[in-house]
Amino acid sequence: MTTRHLKLIKIKHRAVAVALFAALFATLFAVTTARAADAVAPADAASAPISAPVSLATPARDGDAERLQITEPYLELRTGPGRGYPVFFVAGRDEWIAIELRRTDWYKVRTDGGKVGWVSRQQLESTLTAGGVRKSFRDILLDDYLTRRVQMGVAWGRFKSEPMLKLWSSYRLSETLSVEGTLGQVQGVFSGTDFWHINLLAEPWSDRRFSPFAGVGFGKFKNFPNLSLVGAETTDAKLAGAVIGVRYHLSDRFVLRADYSLYTAFVSDAHSAEYRAFTAGISFFF
Amino acid sequence: MHRILWATALVGSCATAFAADPPPKSDQVVVPEVDRRDIGVPKFPSNDFEIGAFVGTYATQNFGTSAVGGVRLGYHITEDFFVEGVYAISKVSDTSFRQILPGGVFPEEKAKLSYYNVSFGYNVLPGEVFIGAKRAKPSQLYLIGGVGSTKFDEQRRPTYNVGFGFRVYLMDAVALQLDMRDHIYSLDLLGKRQSTQNLELTGGLTVNF
Repeated sequence: MTTRHLKLIKIKHRAVAVALFAALFATLFAVTTARAADAVAPADAASAPISAPVSLATPARDGDAERLQITEPYLELRTGPGRGYPVFFVAGRDEWIAIELRRTDWYKVRTDGGKVGWVSRQQLESTLTAGGVRKSFRDILLDDYLTRRVQMGVAWGRFKSEPMLKLWSSYRLSETLSVEGTLGQVQGVFSGTDFWHINLLAEPWSDRRFSPFAGVGFGKFKNFPNLSLVGAETTDAKLAGAVIGVRYHLSDRFVLRADYSLYTAFVSDAHSAEYRAFTAGISFFF
Repeated sequence: MHRILWATALVGSCATAFAADPPPKSDQVVVPEVDRRDIGVPKFPSNDFEIGAFVGTYATQNFGTSAVGGVRLGYHITEDFFVEGVYAISKVSDTSFRQILPGGVFPEEKAKLSYYNVSFGYNVLPGEVFIGAKRAKPSQLYLIGGVGSTKFDEQRRPTYNVGFGFRVYLMDAVALQLDMRDHIYSLDLLGKRQSTQNLELTGGLTVNF
């Protein structure tokens, strides 16, 4: 979706926002099922490095695994998927390797001689690019983080001076627009509150390390008084809110966030309650 | 009918006119022969997500220990960090109170305790364990902490949990996980609201997919 197309979309209706939320869950599902095969674009000869014409050879399929040709001077194969595991074999340039599995940033490769070991993504980067593997979510550096889509985070703070915790998941629709679903819990001295809401967030300077954002949303609010209180009732109300905050990108995967929200709970036709909440938290990109 | 005939005639004459055009003269001396090849798109599987089940004991402060069982869904972000969501159920009995007080604390003998939480873990000591002389399996000792909610005797309480655990990968995709957690939440079942610490020890199997 280009920015031009997004300007044509006016999010006025609740149904559309709900559909966006459903799309978020569907995307989370799709991410789960799609990461089984890292998505790739067809090998484009123009995008491969010019200096290694030999490595433009078509990656051949070897049984179940994909074979790529090594373009780095050497690859260190470790016994396990971690930087502490010992190097037990070194494979040289122009040898063929088959990638069998990926776990976090480590790839399990098998050389033609039958050695099976784990290589880090940083070492394999050039080989993967030459082999036509499009950079997956994990390979994107800080500069390209704008193409990361799904984010999940947790934040802690104060909701009208009572401790509050919220868990949220967001899907980036475009460079500046994202939709976010939040589940929150407030525990006060006399009652507890559970709420959920869906927000649409705008982040105009999302390419900066410090980027402010603002958003609006709606949701549901449920207040449970403590059972030991006599005669108290639970309150069920619709919730509308606005939020402003700032994000700080710690690294390409982790983001710190602080925000200030204004909630309005429509308790009854004549009565609505206003709450302010301030939270800070951390989130990560899938 | 006439209109159709005219249209067909027009189209036909145009087609023949175009077909009769001679091919343009080419300046190229060498005609390149492009070798068409099938571009195979490389794909490889990954197993960052994990799902598992566990059983163990859950010690509820003031009430005693009970068996607990649950499921776990996790995602490994990097080799050092992972997040995990857990849901588990246990049945707590107040027999120790019933023996002293008539009526006990719960309406029935056993009360259901269920909890869910989302926790963030750090693999502080990854390594290998050796089984016998020929087998080495990757392992991780991790610290974990998170937040969630416990539902105990119809009361829902926000819960913090901290703990540590040990994970041994029997195969690339299957791991044995031993987990020790302290669930901290405040309860006012016994009159006064107090913060309770509930230790839990579980062992389970997780499958990476």
